[in-house]
Amino acid sequence: MALVINWCLMTKTRRSLFYRLVVRVALVLFVGAAVLITAAWFYAKAAADEAYDRLLQGAAIQILDGLSVEDGRIGINLPPAAFELLGQAPRDRIFYRVVLPDGLTLTGYDDLAPSVDLTPARSGPVFFSEDYRNVPLRIGIVGRAISEAAAGGWAYVLVGQTTEARKEFVTELTTRALVIVLIMSALALAGTALAIRYSLRPVNQLGDMLLRRDPQDLTPLSVAVPGELSPFVDSINHFMRRLDERVRLLQRFIADSAHQIRTPLTALSAQVSLIHEDALSDNDRRHLERVKDRAGELAHFTGQLLNHAMVIHRFDSAQLGPLDVTEIARKAFRAAVPITIDPDTVVSFEGPDETLIVLGDGLSLREAIVNIIDNSLRHGTRFKLDVRVLKRGNFALVEVEDDGPGIPPADWGQVTKRFVSSKSGSGSSGLGFAIASEVAIALRGGLSFREKTPEKGFTVVLELPLHAEMTS
Amino acid sequence: MLKKPLLFAALVLLSPVHASAIEGEKTVFQSPGAEKSRLVINGVTDADAIKPLILDFQQLAPDVTVEFNDYVSNDLFREAERACSTGQNYGDLLISSSADQLVKLANDGCAIPHSSAETDALASWANWRNEVFGFVFEPAVIVYDASRVPQADVPRSHADIADLLRRKPEDYRNRIGTYNIQLSGVGYLLAFHDALQAPTIYGRLLESFSRAEVVTGCCNNEVLDQIASGRLRIAYNILGSYAYAAFLKNPNLRVVIPRDYALILPRAALIPVKSQQTDLARRFIDYLLSSRGKTVAREKAFFLSEDDPLPEGVEGPASLIESGIGRPIRIGPALLAAQDRATRERFIRNWTALFTALDP
Amino acid sequence: MRILLVEDTHDVGEAISRRFETTGHTVDWQTDGRAASEILDFTDYDLVILDVMLPGLDGFEILKRLRQNRNAVPVMVLTARSEIDDRVSALDLGADDYLVKPFDFRELEARARVLLRRRSGGEATNVIACGDVMLDRTNRSVHVGKREVQLKRREMTLLEILASRPGRVFSKDQLLDQIFGFDEPAGPNAIELYVGRLRKKLEGAKARIVTVRGLGYQLVSDDQD
Repeated sequence: MALVINWCLMTKTRRSLFYRLVVRVALVLFVGAAVLITAAWFYAKAAADEAYDRLLQGAAIQILDGLSVEDGRIGINLPPAAFELLGQAPRDRIFYRVVLPDGLTLTGYDDLAPSVDLTPARSGPVFFSEDYRNVPLRIGIVGRAISEAAAGGWAYVLVGQTTEARKEFVTELTTRALVIVLIMSALALAGTALAIRYSLRPVNQLGDMLLRRDPQDLTPLSVAVPGELSPFVDSINHFMRRLDERVRLLQRFIADSAHQIRTPLTALSAQVSLIHEDALSDNDRRHLERVKDRAGELAHFTGQLLNHAMVIHRFDSAQLGPLDVTEIARKAFRAAVPITIDPDTVVSFEGPDETLIVLGDGLSLREAIVNIIDNSLRHGTRFKLDVRVLKRGNFALVEVEDDGPGIPPADWGQVTKRFVSSKSGSGSSGLGFAIASEVAIALRGGLSFREKTPEKGFTVVLELPLHAEMTS
Repeated sequence: MLKKPLLFAALVLLSPVHASAIEGEKTVFQSPGAEKSRLVINGVTDADAIKPLILDFQQLAPDVTVEFNDYVSNDLFREAERACSTGQNYGDLLISSSADQLVKLANDGCAIPHSSAETDALASWANWRNEVFGFVFEPAVIVYDASRVPQADVPRSHADIADLLRRKPEDYRNRIGTYNIQLSGVGYLLAFHDALQAPTIYGRLLESFSRAEVVTGCCNNEVLDQIASGRLRIAYNILGSYAYAAFLKNPNLRVVIPRDYALILPRAALIPVKSQQTDLARRFIDYLLSSRGKTVAREKAFFLSEDDPLPEGVEGPASLIESGIGRPIRIGPALLAAQDRATRERFIRNWTALFTALDP
Repeated sequence: MRILLVEDTHDVGEAISRRFETTGHTVDWQTDGRAASEILDFTDYDLVILDVMLPGLDGFEILKRLRQNRNAVPVMVLTARSEIDDRVSALDLGADDYLVKPFDFRELEARARVLLRRRSGGEATNVIACGDVMLDRTNRSVHVGKREVQLKRREMTLLEILASRPGRVFSKDQLLDQIFGFDEPAGPNAIELYVGRLRKKLEGAKARIVTVRGLGYQLVSDDQD
């Protein structure tokens, strides 16, 4: 359950940075686009009004030109040109009214804007919008002073037109602006998304690098990152340094503790070994056996702890040098096989014809092989233990074969982990294979197993890459 | 040569209904098949002239009965305006050669718009707001009686008429006829545009008409009848279709298209806002505008069009528009100026002032 | 045999002394390094068992001094492995063997016996061969071809005898005499037991032990057939 929640949180945070940025930019672009388009609409409307208002004005002026005074009366000859001018808006209907100085309508649509105040038109054309016969009109008023004595005063012409042409104009301009703005926004968004993705690459790279890291690797990160990320890298390195220190302290504590246990443990074994078995009852003898066994286990385990600590330490500080695998294996063989082994057990060692050189640390390699042999002797060997060193391809192999039941393949993955039973149900846990495996991996090799077959017994194989000079 | 008049006569005789071409009268063209609907057309045109088109349309729509009411243009206009302002029905389709009146109706919001492939194909000056459509364009022509007018006198331009009347006032006093523009919408429209096209010549023309005591009539046929009866010798600004029809009936007549300029007058159609058969009206308009309709119009009804070659017997340039002589009256808002009441009153007043003689 | 034990942990020292005394050796037990070093200067021992962590002088120092004085007494070091950098190996300093604490006491006893025997026996270190079987007295193992097989002491002795004269038949009594000493009782089938073990360990060799019924055993190399 906790894992599921953890994973959900992880995915959520991983997605959001890129998408958040893109969404925000998109939002800004959207708002900007909306503002631009609205501005374009307003501009188009103003432009349309201005352009078409000029038509109204022009037509009105032409109509006014058609006014003439005869016999003290004002008459009109409407020039068709005025309406042809208005015909520039081919679909729009035209309404007009000519008003005499006395306020009466001379001709036109009498009910066109009857209540509007005409006097402002004396100083210049006046434009306004009003509904007429249920359609919206745009109306312009132009006035002219008639200076004939009998019928003097101001005459006005109202010219109105429906707004279809204007609307079309506005729509067309706005649509064009919309298309341009949309294309620009799309380009901007695409460009920004690409730029963001590219800029976020260092973050992804850092993440990948961290993922690819060996979980045991606590060396500081050395990666070139942009300035914004360097605090992260610095704090990661700082954290890893502290972690590394803690790990070291812990290891040293374990080593020291094991070391401290060593003495009382030896004393315990010593005292137990002094007990005269003959003087004991059968029950007590059994208990004594058990005590001896447990003391032995304790001793073995303490030894392994110390081994492990030593091996780890050596990899931190020791330099790797060329080693003769066969010699080291032989030393390990001699050290690991106790003198007190059952005489019916046949233990043998076989080396290769040529010298095999690997790059490594002698002591830890020897410890690894000792651990493998020791494990076989304890849990595997019935009557046979063979240790072989041979060359295969570019690798040196150290094989330890016994005639015991072996480890079932299902357990092979687990066995190299610490404190896992190397023999199911035996109740003994150990670090032996863990040490051997860690040493092998540190020397760029590996630990593997081979199942028991009718011809050959269960084999533990320690594989190490041959030193480069040898393989060339 | 004789085919056309024979054909014309045959059509007249064979028409299934009694068609008497009295203006303002109703003519019903029964549907060839079972009647499902009736289309009422109020028009300013001879029923005879439009009959071929209606009959051909009924071939395409055999279940439609067409009722055609022939009006004088001003009457049609008045009725249409009244119906529009009171929200009543006045026909399903209006047809008139006074395009300015139909434009005024459309401007006042009395028309239903219609658009189709055929209307889209029209030139911009033959279609205003998809509400007023021009479907036949015919020239305004001069008609003369060849038996009474010597060749030397034949006027071939507006200036010629003025000159002739000045030269031989006695020969042609009371012998020349045209419209009474107060009574005839078409006459007014043509006169208005004459004044626009050639103001000087127009002035001279009016002056010479006045001196020659021109005879005015209300309509084309009245004037043409007077030529046929011998009363008049020359008629001015007659619609080409009427002129040609008269020519077919009376071989003495001749049709001349003026050389200096010739006004081209459209016949226009409009669907009134209270039409009860809007779909049928639309179909009829589409028919009129289709190539089939145009062919029938040219061959049987109106004979003259704006860009087809002139039929035999008509004198004039080969192609009206291309030669530059034809001056089409454009269907558009400019016609509103002609309909302005003050302008119209003044124009008619000026015109009337020059004439003492009215409709006899 | 005289053994010097230098060990400061009382329980451990007590156990080791008691063990060796039961098998008949004399054990001098010192708890102080300096004192032990002085004693070594003028007393001869057959074996020194030396703990490394000591008060006074530490085990490695004592060893160094010992070897500097050209004293070749066998030394068994009980090493602590507490030094994290184990640059100095006990063997490098001159020890003959070492055991890591905590150790198996039987192992200690067995290895001590080896060292003691070496002292008294003065075993020759030459290598005897027969077929592809080669004896290696130093490492107490037999090389069968390329394989080196560990042998027990008595198995080694038996093989030495048989390999000294390949082909010659040795009787059971002869072998019993040479392998087992006066104070080492042997069961009636002891020789069969050892021959059986030896045969197992010589598996795959180009020489083998042949039983000659009624007469004894011989080591025969395959070429000789």
